[in-house]
Amino acid sequence: MDKKMVTLSVDGKTVTVPEGTRILDACKVAGIKVPSLCYLEDVSAHGSCGICVVEIEGFKRLVRSCLHTVQQDMVIHTHTDRVMRARKLNLELLLANHPLLCTTCERNLNCELQSLALQLGVRESRFERTKKSLLPIDSSSSSIIRDPNACILCNRCVEVCAKVQEVHAIEMMGRGLRTTVSTFFDEGLASSVCTNCGQCSLVCPTGAITEKSHESEVFDAIADPNLVVLVQTAPAIRVGLGEAMGLGEGSLVTGKMVSALRTLGFDRVFDTQFSADLTIMEESHELIHRLTSGGTLPMITSCSPGWIKFIETFYPEQLEHLSSCKSPQQMFGSIAKTYYAERAGIDPRKIRVVSIMPCTAKKFEAGRSEIDSAFSYWREQGSFTDDEYFCDVDYVLTTRELARMLQRIGIDFAHLEEGKFDDPLGQSTGSAVLFGATGGVMEAALRTAYETITKTTLDDLEFEQIRIGEGIREATIMIGETPLKVAVANTLANARVLLDQIQEGKSPYAFIEVMACPDGCIGGGGQPIPSTKEIRRKRAMSIYEEDRGMPIRKSHENPSIQELYTSFLVQPLGHLSHQLLHTTYVKRGEYPD
Amino acid sequence: MNDRANEIAAIVSKHRERHGALLSILETVQRTNEHNYLPKQELVMVAKELGVPLSQVYSVVTFYAFFNLKAQGEHVITVCRGTACHTRGSKPLLDKVLHMLGIELDEDGMATTPDYRFTVHTVACFGQCALAPVIAIDGVIHSMVTEEKLTTMIEALSAHKEGA
Repeated sequence: MDKKMVTLSVDGKTVTVPEGTRILDACKVAGIKVPSLCYLEDVSAHGSCGICVVEIEGFKRLVRSCLHTVQQDMVIHTHTDRVMRARKLNLELLLANHPLLCTTCERNLNCELQSLALQLGVRESRFERTKKSLLPIDSSSSSIIRDPNACILCNRCVEVCAKVQEVHAIEMMGRGLRTTVSTFFDEGLASSVCTNCGQCSLVCPTGAITEKSHESEVFDAIADPNLVVLVQTAPAIRVGLGEAMGLGEGSLVTGKMVSALRTLGFDRVFDTQFSADLTIMEESHELIHRLTSGGTLPMITSCSPGWIKFIETFYPEQLEHLSSCKSPQQMFGSIAKTYYAERAGIDPRKIRVVSIMPCTAKKFEAGRSEIDSAFSYWREQGSFTDDEYFCDVDYVLTTRELARMLQRIGIDFAHLEEGKFDDPLGQSTGSAVLFGATGGVMEAALRTAYETITKTTLDDLEFEQIRIGEGIREATIMIGETPLKVAVANTLANARVLLDQIQEGKSPYAFIEVMACPDGCIGGGGQPIPSTKEIRRKRAMSIYEEDRGMPIRKSHENPSIQELYTSFLVQPLGHLSHQLLHTTYVKRGEYPD
Repeated sequence: MNDRANEIAAIVSKHRERHGALLSILETVQRTNEHNYLPKQELVMVAKELGVPLSQVYSVVTFYAFFNLKAQGEHVITVCRGTACHTRGSKPLLDKVLHMLGIELDEDGMATTPDYRFTVHTVACFGQCALAPVIAIDGVIHSMVTEEKLTTMIEALSAHKEGA
């Protein structure tokens, strides 16, 4: 049904928009981008900042254009003297309590507050600080740092946490001058239900929420001549990094990224896509095993650490639905420090594995205590003592952190040559790159499961119905004669829908993919800012383009993976696989005992 | 604690279906708490029983000045520190009552005796400036308070309990 159209005037220009359009969006149609701060498209219209005000004839007061919708014959003025003075005043009021430490802030030159000050011509703030003392910084989380002093109380983080993720880790606490965004009893994110997804850090307009940085530690490791520093890059980095390096949105920069990492000084440049292929080998066999042996169904993917902490916290009784496969990041770490170390003749104690991830939760994942398989492997062989303990993955950097490191050394990214990943942990397939977008793990697993079960070649590799799209997508895939009902969800609010279905015993699915972030890892909490729906779509298109261009597009056909099984792991779900590539989960619960 | 858990479960189930249940529940839980406040574990029980996020419960509790996150004394003495009361000597009155009870205000401007007999706190203004200085004891406003008057009232409250 067509929506009723409304005609109105914006700065003397007549525009016609559907009924229910926000004034802000109607102005956009008229060619005016009304500045805003607390407004977040599709998520939050809090109306607290007062930046997006416009003047409407017949209205006594200025109107917040993010909150109000158009009416027939409205006459709007977007930049009268009154409007401009109000915007400036409101921004100055916000700046009064904001520390003007831009030069040392992580968001310097990528800060909405800073940009607005420039745009609105605010050169000084007329107002004195009203908050008496500085609030403590919350650095309890292994993924995210919150500095409430830089917070302007726009409410975006609260809304994204509550509405997009339905996690509710943070809320507005207190009142008046004492209002802060905080956790239950101000105990910090680490003790809260926070899943470390980092969506709050993506939507924060200032430097109040940032990832916990490990840039210095990685620079130090690279500089240490006694260490062999391996880097692995997640699929979504190659479609995100370019943006942070000044190239177009969603630009595909695989080769340049490899060259940049080599220039930075990593000893080997490997690919998480190698272990994504490995994940598919293990996970598709696990699915087949569950299907044929009466195992728990639906089986749900386990690659997204934000999702893992979510199910552990909110649905601990459903953990047996999770695939026991570690994420590709963790599989890479354990293979690098066992198989690769042995093959290359490197003492695993001297190896440092650095991951470049689109994700803040991966930082938490790398520190999970149940994930130290490589060390256990060597200790079982009597090689090392307990005090020589090491993790499978040593440091996790977000796309943003890598971009900062590259900028720091002054790299001319746009003109880098197209580098190639090192062997053998750098070889991957089109299936593996798909992991970067929602539906990709499912699609990759289906390609392999289909051929493994039917022993025939899959002709049409692309499963359009589960690729990037709105909400939850489902499909019935014919594997030979057998229909396999699958579903794909991104964002934790959507995951909740599928889990509630399981809880009620009404889930019709055999296999479910869940990614914590909007549109999957391409919209991950560690990706360049901004990360809007439109930008995420462009990143996804680059993912699909990369898949189509790969010489091998099915995980089980990756020769380096085949070699890994022949000479080391023996077979999927075998003894060594279980030791190195599978994991267990923790029943956390939402409420403390 | 088990009894208290049952009590809280009963309070929650009584209000559960009502619109704005959380406020009524918190009010009842605070009122039925021995020291008229909302301890952390009781807020966890409320959140769990009602099925709402902990952050939301804490947000509501910290928004309303009515809710106490610290144990309150049996008698609550509220000293007005508004401008009018200040010029008429509310600071010496505050010091006097704190001295008598042997306590000091914390960073939130509140103090409670270790035996939970008295809580002293300040407010910005009662809106009774003509009667300054003003002190409320257990919700009853006393006007033009002098140190003598204050001493007598507090001594009476202390003696009453000892005699009982």
